[in-house]
Amino acid sequence: MEHDIDTLMPEALISLDEPPAEKEACIEHLLDLAVDAGRVEDREAALSALLEREEQTTTGVGMGIGIPHAKTDAVMRPSVSFARSSAGVDFGAMDDEPATLLFMILVPEEGADEHLEILSSLSRTLVHDEVRGRLREAETEAEVQRALAEAMN
Amino acid sequence: MERVVTVVPEAGLHARPAAKFVETVQEYESDVSIARVDNEGDRVAAGSMIAVTSLGVRCGEDVRIIAEGEDAEAALDALEGVLTTPEDELDS
Repeated sequence: MEHDIDTLMPEALISLDEPPAEKEACIEHLLDLAVDAGRVEDREAALSALLEREEQTTTGVGMGIGIPHAKTDAVMRPSVSFARSSAGVDFGAMDDEPATLLFMILVPEEGADEHLEILSSLSRTLVHDEVRGRLREAETEAEVQRALAEAMN
Repeated sequence: MERVVTVVPEAGLHARPAAKFVETVQEYESDVSIARVDNEGDRVAAGSMIAVTSLGVRCGEDVRIIAEGEDAEAALDALEGVLTTPEDELDS
């Protein structure tokens, strides 16, 4: 992946706190990580783009992973936020597994290719049991970041 | 049994078309896998949403779908239908 993980997902976008267990509230929680880091110009526009995307079809891709995402001009540059849930959040995945690893991808409107690229490299990384295990066990934000950075290289 | 299909939905094999593709795979008994024609090394199980998403197939790219099983031909017909339907014409 061409994106540098420190730029795409700085530690400020990683949270190890328990997120809300309900999907929409959880999406807002992930969005607020990006808002608080000053990466979102228009929170409401970003939220509606995310929820609109959820309406099309689930972003629960299975294996306990949820990847809500949107292309929106509410952001200036691509951002990925991370949270993990011990309770699990129902993201409507086809395998019925609640999502415990949550990633939110926000990409500017014109970044269609970038969007697909981030989504695919994240998915490629998360297919591996070992990577998911490291993300679940990480004790610091830096460990989460490192686990992803190493897997994506 | 295999088939090469050019992906039609504008956003590529992603979101609704990808979900529809995976759901369709699950309706058949056959084992189905998918890879880009120019990257067979990345062949993945077609019945897994995360695996299909990991391919990042764009609109206009060719994929090779391989199905093994008694209903392989019917599965390939149905999957070709999903991949060649523009997203706005896809039934949910």
